[in-house]
Amino acid sequence: MNIDILLFPILLPLIFAVMGLFLKSKKLINYWAVLGSAAVLYCAYVLFGIKQASLVLPWLGHGIDFDLKLYGFNAAILLWVNIFTFLVVLYSTIKMETSTRIKEYYLYVFLTVMFANGSVLADNFVLFLFFWGGLLITLYMLIMLGNLNSYKTALKSLILLGLCDFCLLLGVVLLWKISGSLKISAISLEAQGLAMISFLLIMIGAIGKAGAMPFHNWIPDAAIDAPVTVMAFLPASLEKLLGIYLLTRISLDVFHFQMNSPVSIVLMTVGAITIVFAVMMALIQKDFKRLLSYHAVSQVGYMILGIGTGTPLGIVGGIFHMLNHAIYKTGLFLSSGSVELAAGTTEMKKLGGLMKSMPVTGLCFSVCALSISGVWPFNGFVSKEMIFHGSYETGYLIFTIAAWVGAIFTFASFLKAGHSIFFGAKSTEIPEVKENSWPVLVPMIILSAFCILFGVYSILPLKLFILPALSGHPEVLAELTFTHNLSLLNPIALISMGCLVIAFGLHYLGVKKGQGKAYLASEPVHNLPIIKTIYNLAENRVFDFYEQGVKLIKLLSKVIYYTVDRPIDFVYERVVTVTGRIVIFILRVLHNGRFANYLSWSLAGLMALGYVMGTLIKKAG
Amino acid sequence: MSISKITLLTIFIPIIGSLFIPLAGLISKRTRSVWAVLLAGTTALLPILLIPQAFSGTELIIRKALFPGFDFILVIDALSIFMSVVSSFIGLLIVIYSLGYIKDDANQNEYYLMVVMFIGSMMGIVYSANLVFLYLFWEISAICCWRLIGFYRGKQQVIKADKAFLVTFFGAALMLLGFIAIYNQTGTFDLTQMRGLAVSSTAVLLILLGMLSKSATVPLHTWLPDAGVAPTPVTAILHAAVLVKIGVYAFARIFCYTFQLPDFWLQTLPILAVVSSLVAAAAATVEHDMKRILAYSTVSQIGYIFLGFSMLNPLGVTGGLLFILMHGLSKAGLFLCAGVVEHNTHKRDIRELGGLIITMPITAITFLVCALSVIGIPPLGGFFSKFMVIAGTVHGGHYVAASLALFTALLTAFYLFRLFNAVFLGELKVSIVEKTPAMLFVIITLAVLSLLAGIFVSYPARFADVAALEILRYVK
Repeated sequence: MNIDILLFPILLPLIFAVMGLFLKSKKLINYWAVLGSAAVLYCAYVLFGIKQASLVLPWLGHGIDFDLKLYGFNAAILLWVNIFTFLVVLYSTIKMETSTRIKEYYLYVFLTVMFANGSVLADNFVLFLFFWGGLLITLYMLIMLGNLNSYKTALKSLILLGLCDFCLLLGVVLLWKISGSLKISAISLEAQGLAMISFLLIMIGAIGKAGAMPFHNWIPDAAIDAPVTVMAFLPASLEKLLGIYLLTRISLDVFHFQMNSPVSIVLMTVGAITIVFAVMMALIQKDFKRLLSYHAVSQVGYMILGIGTGTPLGIVGGIFHMLNHAIYKTGLFLSSGSVELAAGTTEMKKLGGLMKSMPVTGLCFSVCALSISGVWPFNGFVSKEMIFHGSYETGYLIFTIAAWVGAIFTFASFLKAGHSIFFGAKSTEIPEVKENSWPVLVPMIILSAFCILFGVYSILPLKLFILPALSGHPEVLAELTFTHNLSLLNPIALISMGCLVIAFGLHYLGVKKGQGKAYLASEPVHNLPIIKTIYNLAENRVFDFYEQGVKLIKLLSKVIYYTVDRPIDFVYERVVTVTGRIVIFILRVLHNGRFANYLSWSLAGLMALGYVMGTLIKKAG
Repeated sequence: MSISKITLLTIFIPIIGSLFIPLAGLISKRTRSVWAVLLAGTTALLPILLIPQAFSGTELIIRKALFPGFDFILVIDALSIFMSVVSSFIGLLIVIYSLGYIKDDANQNEYYLMVVMFIGSMMGIVYSANLVFLYLFWEISAICCWRLIGFYRGKQQVIKADKAFLVTFFGAALMLLGFIAIYNQTGTFDLTQMRGLAVSSTAVLLILLGMLSKSATVPLHTWLPDAGVAPTPVTAILHAAVLVKIGVYAFARIFCYTFQLPDFWLQTLPILAVVSSLVAAAAATVEHDMKRILAYSTVSQIGYIFLGFSMLNPLGVTGGLLFILMHGLSKAGLFLCAGVVEHNTHKRDIRELGGLIITMPITAITFLVCALSVIGIPPLGGFFSKFMVIAGTVHGGHYVAASLALFTALLTAFYLFRLFNAVFLGELKVSIVEKTPAMLFVIITLAVLSLLAGIFVSYPARFADVAALEILRYVK
């Protein structure tokens, strides 16, 4: 049988997922998983080389086909999805060793890969929804593998992302109605009127998957409840790649919008709000993983802001930032997992001075942390600079300022995290730790190497992975110049570097005020008047979209139940039965057994009959 | 065997055969159970033989002259075959499940008699093209339903059974009036001669009330949650295989296939369907009784089927038909899982249950799979039916209805997971293990079928497409 090569990235993980269930020993399962992810990665690499392919099979009729299409951009996304999978699986062989549910874990990981590969390759919106929605289930199951309370977080993720997926579905159906087609690569609309609503609905699906506000609340909770490998796998890398991939597709190909059009403003606003609020939350976190998770939210803001600008530089910066973020954030989560594995905790208060005993982890953390903070010459610097420039070009300075504010606090919070965990005095609260074995370290080293490589030779990833996204827009490509990256002496880059200095100052003051305790470095900001109240409200989940939504749903349900459903039932249970009983009672009273009574009824009936007959005859006459 | 013979056998084997169940029961318990499964099995097998006929795209009409106006007329087309295949197959699974569930109860002869006759009456309704015979089978099903809900004979059960019977009978009586109104207009009860006919709004209202009462749609729905006092396989039959599907089937046959709906109803029906869906979903969010939550969920999902059918476009009708299949499989699965829990713990209040995933992992996982399908999450079957109904609604221009329907889907996720979390997760309150392999076999089958129906959705979808094409032939 001849199987099209495009089906391999979908079928291979499925085969590995199912076969893995039949393996007995833990060691064998680990080997099997590494082998499987390597095979899929190889397959993705081959496809990346091919770059152009398509496959159309009949499926449901009505224009719903099983339609896969490979082109430059999604080939790159496919490659990266599988690189991350491979690294995370390699890492999991050690990190998940103690888990009793390792079989289930790999089953869900491979199913996730299958769905992710499928949604990247799909060229029909229904097929896309099919794969995309499947990720909801695997994410739910993966979070369920965590601690005892993880099911609540799992449900939270399912409901929040389910909401986004339903919006996406509605947007797709609306788009189908407007354009008459479901083929993603064949639709091209101006985002106006009904098409704009469709765009916004699909956008909710995309940014929800990527973890933007207000659909992010499950991520910080999952950081505590779910295994750290799941965090590195999904919210840090795959979901960002997929969410921003969809956002790119709809912003560039399916719909068009101009710079500063209403759609563009909406996107930039969502981006800016996400950057600022999430980073403020990240700043005050006391747990390393939770801190990272808020940054996973905050950084999405940069990508959305970049794509939302509608300027060539902003768009490319946004997409590039997606790749960079996936690299350094996965690296950071893996380093937090490494710390957790060695020290048994990720609470910053209990940790300290780990650099000496865990030099590789510490070094990798430092590289990734400098990247996310946008320090020259790491990769985060390049993409952030492009976003700053892009947003500056739109003329709305407020968005650029928001991005700068984000940069200040990002660096401040990583100074705090790094200082309290790896540097400073050695902690006495944890036993002696030692560096982890190579399957844990290798993924981190590779990711850190990418951080440096993509920062120094930024033109390489841009040409290979990012610019193919603009393949349908030669006019945009022509405008692009990357020379400014090389020169540090432009006002915008100088301001960004100024931000880093401010962050350093904040950290220094905070540590001083906290009597040398680095984990208290954010307290001065935390305790500012007004801001403290806001923080308290946030900690009490007043701004939690999910918690408030659930409250609203419960209230709404109660109102409907007691004002519509119960009254209707009351009619059947009481009104009908009581009326029936009253009628029966009256009839019973009337039937008193007296002859005169019945005779008078008969007479009255006869008279009534006579009257009716009389009128009828008159009418007929 | 000719097609007409197969059809006649499909209807009469269960109806007449069921009468012999008490006799078989006289011989031995085993004989009776075997006979009942055999009857249900034959009823499930026969319609499958008709599938090639369905795909031929032609309809076959059989007339047996009785006396003028009351001819026994059968219509064999993709719609009736689709419906009978789905109903009788799920019916068979539920009969098998009953072997385990009901084995210690009294009056089993009556139970199997009623269940098999119930399935038979459904077959009768599905193939009847004469309104009078449709009504006759309709009432046979109402009587079976009445006895089955009151099966345990307690005071509460009898009252609830009466409620169900009276509400559905009230609806059916009005429907009969509607049929008479149509007879006055056309002089015939033969549906096949009335295709494309415009009917008055009053007749539509009367007939619709009958359908809504049978399909438990707001405001005629509250008997269905109350019917949860019945043995669980019976509730599963009511919800998934037969009873509530009668109403939606009749809607497809009478209003989509035969008559032209007046504009007023074309505008009103989607609103009615969505409101019903939403109200029931809200009620399911508030309730604490496992079976009542699932019952309200059925009311809510039936709204989607009505929504799809009322669009009268290919997507909506195909979606509605697929919905009948997918909902049948997964809702039967949910009820039967709830049945396993109830059978073993003797508890139905979700506040008294918890943590059962530890002791009942198979039930928990099948429940989860079926719940995901009902919510409409890929790759399970429920996704496609829900998608097509929503797509049909949007193509019909009812944007608000489509949005509300999706909001209801979110509520569905919320209350089903509330149920799942309360029963299967958290702290273990009652420690009981799974037993009775017949019951486990059936729930696993249903969960696997819900998954396969999603992965290989193109087969049922093609079937539903043919049926939709046939239904919509006279729609302008």
